[in-house]
Amino acid sequence: MTSTMETFRCMMCGHEYQEKVEKGEDIERSCPKCRSNSIRHLKKRKGDTK
Amino acid sequence: MEGVTGYIGNFSVTIRKKARYVDPELCNACEECVKVCPVSKPDEFQMGLSSRKAIHIPFPQAVPCSYILNMDDCLGNNPIACGKCADVCEKEAINFDDADEIVTREIGAIIVAIGLDVYDPTEMDEYGYTRFENVITSMEFERLICAGGPTDGHFVRPSDHQRPKRIGFIQCVGSRSPKVGNPYCSHICCMNTIKDTLLLADHYPDTENVVFYQDIRAFGKSFEDMFQRSKEAGSRYVRGLPGDIEEDSESKNLVVTVENTTSGKLERHELDMVVLSVGVVPPKDLAKISSLLTLSKTSDGFFMEAHPKLKPVDAPTRGVHFAGFCESPKDIKDSVCQAGAAASRAGALLNAGEITIEAITSVIDEEACKKCGLCASVCPYGAITWKKGEVAAVIEAACAGCGSCGATCTFGAITMRHFTDDQYIAQVHAVLADKPEEKVFGFACNWCSYAGGDMAGISRIKYPASNRMVRTMCSARVSEDMVLEAFRCGAPVVLVSGCHYADCHYIDANRQTVKRVNRLWDKLEKAGVRPERLQLEWISAAEGQKYAKVMQQMEDLRSKVTLEEIDHAREALKPKAKKRREATAEKAAGAPA
Repeated sequence: MTSTMETFRCMMCGHEYQEKVEKGEDIERSCPKCRSNSIRHLKKRKGDTK
Repeated sequence: MEGVTGYIGNFSVTIRKKARYVDPELCNACEECVKVCPVSKPDEFQMGLSSRKAIHIPFPQAVPCSYILNMDDCLGNNPIACGKCADVCEKEAINFDDADEIVTREIGAIIVAIGLDVYDPTEMDEYGYTRFENVITSMEFERLICAGGPTDGHFVRPSDHQRPKRIGFIQCVGSRSPKVGNPYCSHICCMNTIKDTLLLADHYPDTENVVFYQDIRAFGKSFEDMFQRSKEAGSRYVRGLPGDIEEDSESKNLVVTVENTTSGKLERHELDMVVLSVGVVPPKDLAKISSLLTLSKTSDGFFMEAHPKLKPVDAPTRGVHFAGFCESPKDIKDSVCQAGAAASRAGALLNAGEITIEAITSVIDEEACKKCGLCASVCPYGAITWKKGEVAAVIEAACAGCGSCGATCTFGAITMRHFTDDQYIAQVHAVLADKPEEKVFGFACNWCSYAGGDMAGISRIKYPASNRMVRTMCSARVSEDMVLEAFRCGAPVVLVSGCHYADCHYIDANRQTVKRVNRLWDKLEKAGVRPERLQLEWISAAEGQKYAKVMQQMEDLRSKVTLEEIDHAREALKPKAKKRREATAEKAAGAPA
């Protein structure tokens, strides 16, 4: 299974973190700091390194 | 099963009936063919502990009791190569030209009972399953001690065919481990081992049994009694899983090293045989059946039921029911209970002849449909049929009314009966008509979040009075426009809430909610509106405390939103057409007469 390191930001507390994401995975996300489910997946922009 | 079309009460199933190459009507199981068959292969039913011929009966209790010919093993009917079985068959039951048959059946309900597979312990090298002959699995133990097994029930160890007198059982092989195997409990292994120790004590009272375990789960009726009887019969239970097994190269005995966590001491046990109490895994065919019947899986890989407590035998797809292991690991009694319940559910459906569905299904306006097919792609039930270039159509009997399609269609071609866009927009306007800056506006799903609010209420948990929740059947019903309209009406904060992932009452519709909220965050940011003003939370019906906590967080967030921000959002999120109309009107008003 392929996995990539993705960046997420909690829209409640602002905590930004990286997590390994497996292709096709289906998991409920919550902020490791405040447990909020408002987790925004920050897409990679052009020029960002993997 | 090769294919399924249709819906509850009207399934059409395509079945491949595999060729037997032996006519069961003619075959009288005289065994003459077996005597002459030159091909020997490991017998799958006996776990490879004995052999079978290319022509064989799959297992002793098979119905019909007639032979089948495995064409992958058979040398064929070429007289030079073989064809001996056909020569000796007096009944002329063997037909080498037999072929698979494809049959189609019209059926009303489907019961999925595809069973389980057993965990393969080869990856757990520390137990030496592939290195030591006398390390066997619990399934192999079952065949060895069975009267119908390869040794006619005489229990012997594989290395020297002598009866083992010191036997070790290692529990949780492939179960309850996040690192190797599976994280879940396989449910049956503890009682299976206890049963095995009692069998050994009964057949061979001089046998010494040692069970290495981390927990014994004897939870069912009379199970604890069996556990106590096993101990009274002399079986020793050591709390701790072995770290290593070594083999004596001469005697082929096994030395098991284990930390006894009760005494805190390191123990070494010399045993004649070790039985790995292997766990269970979802069957290999599960993915295929899942795709054919649009079924979902839970994180452990088994089928997901419509509701874990209220509909444990129903699949989310109407007219499909579960029985046995494919839904979750369970013992014989529970499997029989579930099978009975599944048969009753299917019987009730077929006897009724018709079903009553809630009138909250979606309706497609053929004139407005742009034939994009997005609605079909997001429907968790496969209740929308669509072909490229054609208008989408709803199968009402299959539609559960989650509203995912209605929220996805940006052309206004889908109306959700009793939960229309106009009704929601009217609620937004009504709630935010007066002093919107003092309110937290939210959407809550019917089954969990809204009920979570009720739970907070009946539990008398205090939370800020500023929240105004609008009920949707599923969080996936909340369209982008509904959220944006709330901001246009001056909402400082908008909350979208729904069921936790595992509890979604519409299979996995709330995954669409996540995608939509992520898109909305991008849109808000682009429009210069703080995306933090839109929040997403999963709140279950039992989480009254969480509901209250979230409402307090929303209130804290609301208190930090300025009037300028609210006004900016009103303006920035106006629909483009409206902006254009207003600009034109302003221009016209400013122009000289």
